Amino acid sequence: MLPLLSLSLLLAATPALAVWPVPRQYSTGSTPLRLSPSFSIKLPGVDNPPSDLQEAISRTKSYLHKDQLQALVPDRGASSAEDIENAKTLNTLTLTLSTTGPIKSISEEAIADLESRVEGYTLTIPADGSGASLRANSTLGLFRGLTTFGQLWYDLNGITYTLQAPFDIVDSPAFPYRGLMLDTARNYFPVEDIKRTLDAMSWVKINTFHWHVVDSQSFPLVVPGYTELSAKGAYSSAQVYTPADVEEIVAYAAARGIDVMPEIDTPGHTSIIAKAYPEHIACFEASPWSSFANEPPAGQLRLASTATTTFTTGLLEAVASLFQSKLFSTGGDELNSNCYTQDNATQADLAAQGKTLDQALDTFVQATHAGLRSVGKRAVVWEELVLDHPVTLANDTIALVWISSTNAAAVAQKGYKLIHAASDYFYLDCGGGGWVGENVLGNSWCDPFKTWQKSYSFNPFANLTEEQSNLVLGGQHLLWAEQSGPSNLDPIVWPRAASSAEVFWSGPGGDVDTSLPRLHDVSFRFQQRGVDAIALQPLWCALRPGKCDLNA
Amino acid sequence: MFKLAFLYLGAAVLLPNSVFGLWPIPRNLQLGTTFLKLASSFDVEINFNDAPQDLLDAVNRTKVYLETDGLRRLVVGRGQNDSTAIAQALELSHLTISLSSTIAPRSIAEEAILPLGTRSESYSLSIPSDGSPATLRADSTLGLFRGLTTFTQLWYDFEGVTYTYQAPVKIVNDTPAFPYRGFMLDTARNFFSVADIERTLDAMSWVKINMFHWHVVDSQSFPLDIPRFPELAAKGAYSSNEIYSAADVNDIVSYAGARGIDVLVEIDTPGHTAAIADSHPEHIACNQASPWSQFANEPPAGQLRLASAATTKFTTELIYSIAKTVPSTLFGTGGDELNTNCYTQDAQTQADLSSSGRTLEQALSLFVQSTHKSLAALGKTPVVWEEMVLEHNVTLPETAVVMVWISSQHAASVAAENYHIVHAPSDYFYLVR
Repeated sequence: MLPLLSLSLLLAATPALAVWPVPRQYSTGSTPLRLSPSFSIKLPGVDNPPSDLQEAISRTKSYLHKDQLQALVPDRGASSAEDIENAKTLNTLTLTLSTTGPIKSISEEAIADLESRVEGYTLTIPADGSGASLRANSTLGLFRGLTTFGQLWYDLNGITYTLQAPFDIVDSPAFPYRGLMLDTARNYFPVEDIKRTLDAMSWVKINTFHWHVVDSQSFPLVVPGYTELSAKGAYSSAQVYTPADVEEIVAYAAARGIDVMPEIDTPGHTSIIAKAYPEHIACFEASPWSSFANEPPAGQLRLASTATTTFTTGLLEAVASLFQSKLFSTGGDELNSNCYTQDNATQADLAAQGKTLDQALDTFVQATHAGLRSVGKRAVVWEELVLDHPVTLANDTIALVWISSTNAAAVAQKGYKLIHAASDYFYLDCGGGGWVGENVLGNSWCDPFKTWQKSYSFNPFANLTEEQSNLVLGGQHLLWAEQSGPSNLDPIVWPRAASSAEVFWSGPGGDVDTSLPRLHDVSFRFQQRGVDAIALQPLWCALRPGKCDLNA
Repeated sequence: MFKLAFLYLGAAVLLPNSVFGLWPIPRNLQLGTTFLKLASSFDVEINFNDAPQDLLDAVNRTKVYLETDGLRRLVVGRGQNDSTAIAQALELSHLTISLSSTIAPRSIAEEAILPLGTRSESYSLSIPSDGSPATLRADSTLGLFRGLTTFTQLWYDFEGVTYTYQAPVKIVNDTPAFPYRGFMLDTARNFFSVADIERTLDAMSWVKINMFHWHVVDSQSFPLDIPRFPELAAKGAYSSNEIYSAADVNDIVSYAGARGIDVLVEIDTPGHTAAIADSHPEHIACNQASPWSQFANEPPAGQLRLASAATTKFTTELIYSIAKTVPSTLFGTGGDELNTNCYTQDAQTQADLSSSGRTLEQALSLFVQSTHKSLAALGKTPVVWEEMVLEHNVTLPETAVVMVWISSQHAASVAAENYHIVHAPSDYFYLVR
């Protein structure tokens, strides 16, 4: 783990670089340089390079050609026309893989163990047009470097140029887990929307797609051996993810350096399962729902039932077989005990076994996690299973800390590795008002809206000892989709989700003053690439860095 | 002068939570529970001569919506549970539309821009459950258009069949409680294409919104291309692609008019005008002054030199030349968030004030009166933000319309001064986060 450099010190020393996330070490110059019309990317030392690396190279060249992002200055670069026309030309970017042994594809590297992923790279672009070079110890590192390379160039009258050569970049992530969670159960998102989001994630080096694929409202996942779940539980036959869809998404992600971590949230959040297997669900659509669940409809797995435990374990293993990731989340949030108190079947089971609810929960979780381990998966759970219930978890279980950023310390104290998913910083859905009906005051529980500045200010080590800090794997933004769908996916996620991407790649402590122009830049580049990021400010301000600051 | 209509929800026979799809909920509404479907030969019959083109277009659009909406009912099963009832339903083959008057009908667009309070938007709609023709009657083509809008909201799709489950439908004289039902869009802080505006006008018409308040320019950009003052957009627009040409404005006004929407253009003055300095620095005080918070409510700072005769003339001509090209009887001159420190620090303004022997407030009043006089010459009524009434001593015409925005509670103060009010409260209706 590289020592964490203070971002603001770094940025004060060198001119602002629009790359996002900001590389951990870099220097830039002020020499114009342009890409020659015959610019090419070469990989000389590798016979039979992996196809996903070749495709990444193609995509990079395509971005260089098609981004056509004009500089974010009032005249969009017009006054630099002469400098640009007279600039030296860069003909080649040479890629070097400094590794011994068999070469792994980006896709293979992307799903390696969290703690042993290799994502670093070195990028050098001289000012004189002599060849640029990109080196890494893995194809994944090369991919990260190609992503950075693609963010350096602007367009003026069809010329692709930079004004900041030479570049010297040595970069690697501060944290191994940098994610984005999408809930596709409250509202459905077509495969194309997920793929577009994966592309956008890769552009800011986010490396994990936490797919909260099913929940109480719908079950869109077609699971071999359990097809009744989606047949009865999906919103419609068109609103499903078939195994082929999942394979497509997993492959698309992996080729972009993204690991897909599925979540089947259990035992709460499972109302919809009753459509196919009513015997396994307690308090199904019970009313008033607020006595039985955190949101409607109510319904939780009968965790004290052996049959249900076996069913759930089988289901999780079947789902696990669809995914390549070593990580698998079984959820575990927002358990409602009243649901079980009122459930005769559960009470009977508890009495017969002589167990308390928590003991039965322990048995349930141990069984499901053992099943996952037997198919090579590492369990990820929401914080309640560490903090609110005395459940036995394997040492390598990872906890998602969500209720409040301050709970991280309690999780770390128990010795579990953790992922920051703080609702007070990273929930993209907050601030849209309460979504349940008959709620006249209409505020959401996690008001207010989490601005990019708020999430950017996150400190992953708050309240942690130095030793506990080693337990922090990283963090993510999350989109709960009660009030979202394809029609607002891009603007509600971007560019805010980029702020956690930088906190966990570049390290915390960045300065919102100097980052705003850079965030505008990446946001505008997103739009050029077909992702509809929302406007952060009037265009007037985006073109005049600093002029719309509070004290300008 | 029109009387404020009292709001009442009418004699709806059915419980409110049984009324689906109709928004806004019609007044004097009766619904049934009988299934009825559109015959494949369904057509709209116009029972009068000389139907204007925009009514004919509206009828066509109605038929397109009926055919292509394809909205399945929002119930579990999306209508599957009613498949038998739908199959067995009687068929409606005609909607007959007629006007009460025998005078040659005016176009929807003409009706839509009549002075507030004189517009006729009411209609009566009857859809029998036995398949006999449905009838839509109104006093104006605008009323017919409102009725057609309601008609389209009644139908759902199931496997290609267009049906309703709420026949018979009887609406007797659905009429708006308020004459001004608007939506404001700011196209200056960030640009919106003509296509985006037109799509928004369509959406507005689907819920009977009848005013498009177009906050077209502001301090950050001036996208309005005015033939008499081309330099304003040439220098002040974000780019030559981010402009509304005179033709664009005409297209938008026509598109709106055909959908029963009146376009209220606002050129916010004297504040919110920094973009004018890009072409006419002589008319703007404290242009991009720093720190902006001392000179404006948001960056960049810049306000019209309201004490200057030349600037007053310029602004008056500017407003006149734009107002002349749009048919609405209303025109917005803004007047919000005046920053006095901007003028205190402006040597030119101070010189103008002292040589004319006026206070800032007096100069402001003369400035506003000048622009409003030019509107009066065009037969137009000015629309202003509340500060012109509540925070400044400005002489306004009696007929001026005042937009109350700072807080819903300010409506009472404006009403106490006897002006007409449009509610635009930031604490209820501002769509920004």
